[in-house]
Amino acid sequence: MNALASVDALMQALRDEGYLADRRLATAVFLALQLQRPLLLEGEPGVGKTALAQALARALQRVLIRLQCYDGMEQREALYEWNYAAQLLHLRAAEAQGRAADMGAAEREVYQDRYLIPRPLLQALRAPAPGAVLLIDEVDRADEPFEAFLLEYLGEYQVSIPEIGAVQAAVTPVTILTSNRTRDLHDAVKRRCLYHWLDYPERERELAIVRAQVPGASEALAQQVALFVSRLRSRPFADAFQRAPGIAESVEWAKALVALDTLVVDPEVVSDTAGILFKQREDVAALTATLASELLQPEPEAS
Amino acid sequence: MSGAGAAPVAAATGWTHGTASQLGDARSGKLADNLTGFGRALRRAGVPVDAARMALAQQALLLVGLARQDMAAALEAVLISREQDRQVFRELFAAYFRNPDVAQKLLAQMLPTAPEKSKGAPRRQRVADALAPLRAARQQHASTQEQKIEFDAAMTASDQQRLRRADFNQLSAGEYQLVQRLVREVALPLPRYASRRTCPGSRGSRPHWAAAMRRAARTGGEMLELPRLTRRDQPVPLLVLVDVSGSMERYARLLLTFLHAATARGQGAARNVGRRDVFAFGTGLTDLTPTFRHADGDAMLAHASAAITDFAGGTRLGEALHQLRRQHARRLVGRRTLVLLISDGLDTGEPAALLQELGWLRRHCGQLLWLNPLLRYEGYRPTARGAEVLHRHAHGMLAVHNLESLQQLAHSIAAVLQPQRR
Repeated sequence: MNALASVDALMQALRDEGYLADRRLATAVFLALQLQRPLLLEGEPGVGKTALAQALARALQRVLIRLQCYDGMEQREALYEWNYAAQLLHLRAAEAQGRAADMGAAEREVYQDRYLIPRPLLQALRAPAPGAVLLIDEVDRADEPFEAFLLEYLGEYQVSIPEIGAVQAAVTPVTILTSNRTRDLHDAVKRRCLYHWLDYPERERELAIVRAQVPGASEALAQQVALFVSRLRSRPFADAFQRAPGIAESVEWAKALVALDTLVVDPEVVSDTAGILFKQREDVAALTATLASELLQPEPEAS
Repeated sequence: MSGAGAAPVAAATGWTHGTASQLGDARSGKLADNLTGFGRALRRAGVPVDAARMALAQQALLLVGLARQDMAAALEAVLISREQDRQVFRELFAAYFRNPDVAQKLLAQMLPTAPEKSKGAPRRQRVADALAPLRAARQQHASTQEQKIEFDAAMTASDQQRLRRADFNQLSAGEYQLVQRLVREVALPLPRYASRRTCPGSRGSRPHWAAAMRRAARTGGEMLELPRLTRRDQPVPLLVLVDVSGSMERYARLLLTFLHAATARGQGAARNVGRRDVFAFGTGLTDLTPTFRHADGDAMLAHASAAITDFAGGTRLGEALHQLRRQHARRLVGRRTLVLLISDGLDTGEPAALLQELGWLRRHCGQLLWLNPLLRYEGYRPTARGAEVLHRHAHGMLAVHNLESLQQLAHSIAAVLQPQRR
């Protein structure tokens, strides 16, 4: 972390890992590192929330531990669980050795560290130096009561296990939470985090991302892809579609175009590959050849 | 510029006068004052900022330095935690830190440049109001005189296209009692589903290993019985769409109050209400979910009437649903949401658009119920353009024209839902 003592250094380090962050995002990440606060990232799907955590882990040379949230997630899947089978065996063995008389001791023996199965939160706390990057992905997918399990971790970087006590962080993990905003997170979670809203990138940055991620694409092709997608996302074109393509889609599309040996994007190619940009039948249908040729018009300088 | 000087300070745990004087920066003291004032202004604009965050903001500024752009990014990361607050933050930041000396004046009187910034969207109005409370009061006074329709005092002032306003603000004592009685007597039987979450129970497919282990430890590793985990029941998420066009006014108000009370958390039979989203629609769509958070029914109505801008402007359900799909599609959770559409079906929009949007809604919700006050007429047939489409797409159509039918609503909902449940 010492190497990343300024916003600029952090931007450069992320760039080296192939993640082009704008300065606002870099500032938020920088603060999260320096203030040792979790960072909550919100934004449309495909704007690079998860990718940021991955790039950050590489830049900091920390292990990335990922907790994918889902509806009905429980404490035992996120924090820790006891290895019940091994515990039972332990009890049996104790009994066989004739130590069964002292049940209190047996009970204590069973709840010790080696029968504890750490799940992502506990893993992150226990990760040896240089520590871990914990990605709590799509928090909004878990139900509201689950957020309560996170509070202790987010606030104090510790997990309390009734049978053992509190486990504290060896090295404070860098914690990134992402949310697609299917629901508002509870204030208790937000209060403990820094917040950043990730927007779709400006065309310049998107172009840079496409160049970096798809080295096989010619400059002209990359330009066309970036222009096309950024126009798709802006009005009036955006109104025709239900969901705008994210950065992930534009990168994917550029890769597909390279694979198809496309030199210049034309309306026909667009409609052939529309399934990469859009994942809904209505949207694919809406991207007609006429609309595509309109989108492919060179820069409308006047208007 | 930002990193070198600030990095050593990162070790300091908090903002103290010590660190400030060590920095030898005369501006930092003043900055702290300005920051506090800025926090107050943010709060006035409705952005929740507590003292802990202000302290964190000061630390953050020490870390990133005072370059304007970095300052904005840092303060935004620390002080803002909702997407919808960002615009308010940016405008306030721009207005506030343009001239640091303006700080005190801002709080007391209106900023000469503020009115120019505040034409346009209601957001901006909110910012201007935060900067200039006096101005807000004056405007409100002026617009009250302009309009003859009865006005709600709690409403925020706006010189825009708020044409007519609902007489929406208060229930008469009689209505109030009726609603109270209804809520007591009528339990909204929101259907429930077995969630992925588990709790200890006597039946269930999964063994409750943790409990089994604890018991076994007491009995020397012998498992006398196997406790079970059973799936927890949860109410389905609820999405309410209320028509507030002129023809619906009488019903909309009462139904809103009823739904508000019947789905309030921690009360009576509806104790265990899950997710609840409420929208009003006329020509556009208004999110009433935040107003539903007020515990008091009258407060809810007052805020709702302040929020709804298209009252009595006709119904364009297709457009409203389009907006719902584009901006709030994620409110429909996992295809199990129960959608209550309260409308008389007298739609003035494009039937084709309505057809398409309703098709989408139907595909993405669990149940779509149409609560129709026009059902009171014997022999009512949904023949109006919109009504016919609605009738075809809804999973059920229920009457809600008077209080008796409201009382039957509970049974009707249960009846409609019953055959559909697996």
